[in-house]
Amino acid sequence: MSFFKKLVKPFLVVAPYVARSSQTVKYPDERLIFSERFRGRHHLDLDKCIHCGLCARICPCASIVLVPVEGREGKYPQIDYGTCSLCGLCVDACPRGALTMTDFVEFSAYKRSDLVYSPERLAEVPDIKEVLPMLKRRIRPVLTDKEMKYEVVEEL
Amino acid sequence: MTEPEIKPEVMRISWGPQHPMSGQTRILIDVDGEVVRRIIADIGFTHRGIEKILENRTFIQGIVPIERMVMADTANIALGYVQAVEEALGIEVPERAKWIRSLICEMGRINSHLYAFGLQVECTGYFPAVFLWTTVDREVLLDLFEKLTGARWSYSFFIPGGVRADLPEGFRDEVRRAVEYLRRRFQDYWDAMVENPLFEMRNRGVGVLSREDAIRLGATGPVLRGSGVDMDVRKDEPYAAYGDLDFKVITEREGDCFARLKVRFHEIEQSLNIMEQIADEIPGGPVRTKVPLFPRSKPGVEALSRVETARGELGVHIFTDGGLKPYRVKINSPTLRNMYVFERLAELNRVLVADLPVILYSIDPWYLDCDR
Amino acid sequence: MDVVTLIWLYILGLVRWLLHEAPLQVINFIRSLPTLIPELLKWLWDFIWFNFKPLAQIIVIPGLAFILLFAMIAVWFERKFLARAMLRIGPYYCGKRSGWLQVIADFLKLFFKEFVIPDDAEKVLFLAAPVLLPTIPALAITLIPFDSNWVLFDAGGLSLPVFLAIAGLAPVIPIFTGWAANNKYTIIGSFRTAYLYISGEIPLVICAAATALLAGSLDLVDIVEAQKPIWFAIPQFIGFLIFFVGLILEAERTPFDVPTAETELVMGWRTEFSGVLFGFTMMAEYLSFLGWTLLFIVLYLGGYLGPSLFGVPLYDHIFWMLLKLAVIVVIIVLIRTVYPRLRLDQTLRLGWNYLMPLSLLNLLMTLILKWGLII
Repeated sequence: MSFFKKLVKPFLVVAPYVARSSQTVKYPDERLIFSERFRGRHHLDLDKCIHCGLCARICPCASIVLVPVEGREGKYPQIDYGTCSLCGLCVDACPRGALTMTDFVEFSAYKRSDLVYSPERLAEVPDIKEVLPMLKRRIRPVLTDKEMKYEVVEEL
Repeated sequence: MTEPEIKPEVMRISWGPQHPMSGQTRILIDVDGEVVRRIIADIGFTHRGIEKILENRTFIQGIVPIERMVMADTANIALGYVQAVEEALGIEVPERAKWIRSLICEMGRINSHLYAFGLQVECTGYFPAVFLWTTVDREVLLDLFEKLTGARWSYSFFIPGGVRADLPEGFRDEVRRAVEYLRRRFQDYWDAMVENPLFEMRNRGVGVLSREDAIRLGATGPVLRGSGVDMDVRKDEPYAAYGDLDFKVITEREGDCFARLKVRFHEIEQSLNIMEQIADEIPGGPVRTKVPLFPRSKPGVEALSRVETARGELGVHIFTDGGLKPYRVKINSPTLRNMYVFERLAELNRVLVADLPVILYSIDPWYLDCDR
Repeated sequence: MDVVTLIWLYILGLVRWLLHEAPLQVINFIRSLPTLIPELLKWLWDFIWFNFKPLAQIIVIPGLAFILLFAMIAVWFERKFLARAMLRIGPYYCGKRSGWLQVIADFLKLFFKEFVIPDDAEKVLFLAAPVLLPTIPALAITLIPFDSNWVLFDAGGLSLPVFLAIAGLAPVIPIFTGWAANNKYTIIGSFRTAYLYISGEIPLVICAAATALLAGSLDLVDIVEAQKPIWFAIPQFIGFLIFFVGLILEAERTPFDVPTAETELVMGWRTEFSGVLFGFTMMAEYLSFLGWTLLFIVLYLGGYLGPSLFGVPLYDHIFWMLLKLAVIVVIIVLIRTVYPRLRLDQTLRLGWNYLMPLSLLNLLMTLILKWGLII
């Protein structure tokens, strides 16, 4: 008899799931809000950089090369996102904190050479609405009693 | 791999790389009707030369390639490398860093075991209910990782000398809440999956590995503990903070696929207990000792570090020659040893073709660390 | 008369026809044109009006439109339901956030794909299989009564044995196809199909015979009419359960879909099909599921009879049949969600050790019941 009870139990466990909210993030209509430690695209502060080259030396993927910038003295880092592994060692190594990481992860490009970000491009991070014009909501996961739901933080 | 003779009444099937359930490997089976007479595991499809790559990276740069070896619980394997480097260079690690390392390792272990459940359940017939629940529950853990380290899978968080950053504000409460949530979810898993009579029929008595065979063939991890052998590196040679933590090593006696499933299930419960203990009792202090960005080693030093990953015991052996980069890094991975056991299982009991994916995924292979 | 002279005479005759008679025929045709098209239309209208009912049966219900729509709706429903049980959404973008156009889009995609035939496969058998496979269940569905006077094919009072005979043809095609595709996976799949069908067919036939015994006739319409006092699910409870399990076995759905076990053999005997051929085999799977479910409803759940309130039956109509079909489909998809797949020897053991003796027991109980009713 316990065999038949065990046979029926999965139905009672699984059937309520049909009524729960789905766990899909409907990107690009919605986008998650990441924590402030999130390691995404870099942001370079051109005034703080002292051209020491420690970021290029410590990069394990050899993605950073120092190149000259128009209108400024010295060489600044250029990052190749085709090989960058977003590990953040360059951020730790920078002695002046000129290199930081934002939460921007939309890197798609049509050519591989477009993935090489020059120092000027690293210095300006575009707004998320320019890259994802169809974005409507920013959401964040929250743990309730029964399930993990996504709550809307911001409507755009 | 030599090509052995094939008898005419036996059919050789290449359960090959182009298969929905084989993973990234090829398994040649000699089939006679439905009975599998011989299994040959043709591994090596994902060899990337990680050991050679590590010879070309300095000691701190090496933390990035090593964790691409096992993506499901990158923490344990990164810890193996980092501990070996610390032993080779003579670096001390503060207490708080050791406790944070244990916390991350346990979260990685739960992550990997949930993924293994999903695969083990999927291979018995696309059991749709449970497979994606594990993916959803891993989201909770991945969000915790993201708050702590900044990345979800490949965190590069361990560094020779400690960890890269301290716990953020309110992290201990979040750990406690995640632990409660996961404990509640496991009741559902137990009812729908482990107590499911058809699932039990598929798994019981299949792929039996006796205690003597497990020791003789060199199994490791849940495969070994599912056959009744009480071996776990966290208890035998404690590293990180495991010497101060209180947990049990789970063993089961039967040695079949169901026993291995239950071992993993209960290990997750033990890991949740460990996470709670760490969140309650973690000591204060610094999280990192000052180490130069490019440390230089002394020539002729050998260092070996053993850790217990989710799949078994992993050893990292470093040889130095006085330069900025290691001379040789040798990695002894658990899946390689378990695949050898998998090959011998066809001789030890009667394996049908339908049992093949069930046994394979109860061994929980991860071909990237089998091929390195 | 030699050949050259014959050919010369033939050419001369052709020229004469072209110059003399062909223009006359063309002029006659042009003269009759104003009245031709209305005549054609009138003939078409008379044809449809006279044969309205068979045509509606062939095209709409239970003919082409019904089975194709059922295949599409069943696929859509299964994908959505499975997705919800997995906490996903399922098809979403195609068709205004419910994804109902996704099935049509998938079918169109399959239609336009190139299908690949292996070099050393038996081409005739290989290409014949996707054509024959949907045809067999469709033939069987023509025998099912959807209302008391809505049967497509009148089998002269023997529709139950004819249905079972046609359903018995079903395993032959996968067996031939698996061999014809010249691939190790397919041949294992076709052997499994052979084992499975043999073990599943016998209990089903015996249970169907027990219902025919209780109704006193071999015609499906009579069986439905005999359920007016009470549906056969209740006096033949064991048969009801056995037929339900056997139906899942015959339709090759999880938990018994051993021949096309996707995790072991890539797709069993369906591995080598791609493009349109794959679309047809998928459709055939849902059609055989439909056929067996309809037989199950007719035999045990009262067919098109409405539920009887306090002994007074409600209005009988096709609608009840469709409603019962929907309920059974939902239950079977739910079973698919919850259970894993059984191994071949476990399935065969189920068929031979459990289903067959129980079906014989069911037959014995029906005999005793009928004998008791007569006496």
